[in-house]
Amino acid sequence: MAALLRAVRAGRALRGLGSSKYGPPPAAASFDLVAAPAAKPECVSVKRGFRCAALMLQDESKSNKHVGQDPTAGTTQGESTSNTHADESTRANSSFQDESEEQGEEYETEEQLQGRILAAALEFVPQHGWTAEAIAAGAETLGLSSASAGMFNNGAGDLVLHFVAQCNSQLADILAEQHKQVQLGQAEPKKTADFLRDAVETRLRMHVPYIETWPQAMSILLLPHNIPEALKHLSTLVDDIWYYAGDRSTDMNWYRKRAALTGIYNTTELVMLQDSSPDFQDTWIFLDNRIQDAVNMATSAKQLQSTGEAVVQGLMGAALTLKNLSGMNQRR
Amino acid sequence: MAASVRTLFRRVVRRTYAGVSVPAAAVSLPSGRRWTPPSCRRFSHETGEKNTHFGFESVPEAEKATRVYQVFENVAQKYDIMNDAMSLGIHRLWKDALLHAMHPQPGTRLLDVAGGTGDIAFRFLDYIRSQKERQKRRVARSMQTPSWRDISDDYSDKDNREWGDAAGGGSQDGRAVVCDINKEMLKVGKEKADNMVVGDGLSWVVGDAEELPFADNQFDVYTIAFGIRNVTHVEQALQEALRVLKPGGRFMCLEFSKVTNPVLARLYDAYSFQVIPVLGEVIAGDWKSYQYLVESIRKFPAQEEFTHMIEEAGFDCVRYDNLTGGVVSLHSGFKL
Repeated sequence: MAALLRAVRAGRALRGLGSSKYGPPPAAASFDLVAAPAAKPECVSVKRGFRCAALMLQDESKSNKHVGQDPTAGTTQGESTSNTHADESTRANSSFQDESEEQGEEYETEEQLQGRILAAALEFVPQHGWTAEAIAAGAETLGLSSASAGMFNNGAGDLVLHFVAQCNSQLADILAEQHKQVQLGQAEPKKTADFLRDAVETRLRMHVPYIETWPQAMSILLLPHNIPEALKHLSTLVDDIWYYAGDRSTDMNWYRKRAALTGIYNTTELVMLQDSSPDFQDTWIFLDNRIQDAVNMATSAKQLQSTGEAVVQGLMGAALTLKNLSGMNQRR
Repeated sequence: MAASVRTLFRRVVRRTYAGVSVPAAAVSLPSGRRWTPPSCRRFSHETGEKNTHFGFESVPEAEKATRVYQVFENVAQKYDIMNDAMSLGIHRLWKDALLHAMHPQPGTRLLDVAGGTGDIAFRFLDYIRSQKERQKRRVARSMQTPSWRDISDDYSDKDNREWGDAAGGGSQDGRAVVCDINKEMLKVGKEKADNMVVGDGLSWVVGDAEELPFADNQFDVYTIAFGIRNVTHVEQALQEALRVLKPGGRFMCLEFSKVTNPVLARLYDAYSFQVIPVLGEVIAGDWKSYQYLVESIRKFPAQEEFTHMIEEAGFDCVRYDNLTGGVVSLHSGFKL
């Protein structure tokens, strides 16, 4: 029954593809991949469509999430394959489901495909490390040849940066959700220090599955050609956390806060690498202490400033009094 | 008018080719047609056959394959020595660059078309062997400082050792198929393989790049090194490549191309047309073949145009890298 549904859907997709390009398709209902007609440019994209549809059928047979999916002509290829792995990559790309143009969709499909391969590669990282071998193994689970790992010119760098971006967007989603809860009144707003601590802890906990190989990942991020991208991700992360913590400053404090949080985050990350306590307790204690230090420094800076102002005012007053007493202040 | 000019051109060309003796009966075409001597070819263009380039000469398409076959038949024995002499050994670096870009994993199936003397296939097997060595060393190193989890796993299942490849030796090795239209070149390659300690995983197949004798979706990587400019219908070869590759498979083409730097281009042209045919005459005793070689390089489309052709054939993520300032370029595309 399921196979019949699949065949009907494939037939509908075929018919849809055919009508969108050139006239009615051949009558054959069987799914024939081999017979590609003479090399016309139009056939190229249809062939690609066939191949993607074949992949789609393969993926369908692996998953069972397709009951009631609506196959719009020409878009089934990209969206169904992306939906089966929607829980693997946070780039669910559901916004691309409405693309009905084949050209535009294939352009997106390449990046989607790369995203999927990298997401699949993450499960091989504990075994192979952050290397091109992990990407090749990930590609193989998707039914592609291991040679497709050659698509990533930066190799391991691409994998690490993809993972970092994925973690950052997950954190942003979690923080947005919490913010919404607070807005709706369903949760209490946290104090800044607690908020920062929770945010950094949540973000660092995402490294736990890969903590064995995380030193390798950090060293890859420090390679010269990866540094700009890595810094960009770090700065977006810190900015997001401060934004959801409620920071709307527009002066030097903006830079000071982000610099402080960057320092806290990086040092905590390094401590986590060498932490062998159960559930990384030592790391969270370290994080607490650092945040306390930052808060204390902020309050003592404020106190210093107000004390200094008070002292200066006092001195000015004393000088004025002296001038009055000595009679220098009189107008003659 | 045009016909008579063409016949005049042909007679001139034939006189310059007088030195090359071609035994008509001995040459067998892949499609089974007999090769007719040049005197009968005079009026073939009038029947409306399409012409293509053979070096700077224009020949009917049907004839190009034969002429190329003859060229490589003549040079097969001295092919490797001439490569070293002409490129001053740099061709080894180019081929190594191809392998590094490919970065094949153990278990990859390679099809090397126009592979001839097997340079790429040998390097491929070496690379895979060293990859496996590295993996073994890494596994051994990680076992030297086992975490408590590894130790407990070890106690539970002692039989499942992944890196002991007694069971799946063949499937984890790379396998390379060298395909060439020219039997002489394959013969030279096979002799080289016998002399080297290559082991198994290598096959030699006679086949035409425009009509490969393989089923669909067979290979992980398709390479063609310095061979695609000799193919009469390049688009057909590209489509055959697409056909035999698995989904996700990679097409890689190493080929001479247009030099970007004008100064270097002048030097390169001078070297190509003055030095190389002379080397060919001195070392291999064959001026004409190497004249054809340098002319065919000039006739091959430039990097961008070839990239476009590869994309038209259906490959994705097509890119190229220039090596040695554009003398050689490495094109790569994926079947997605």
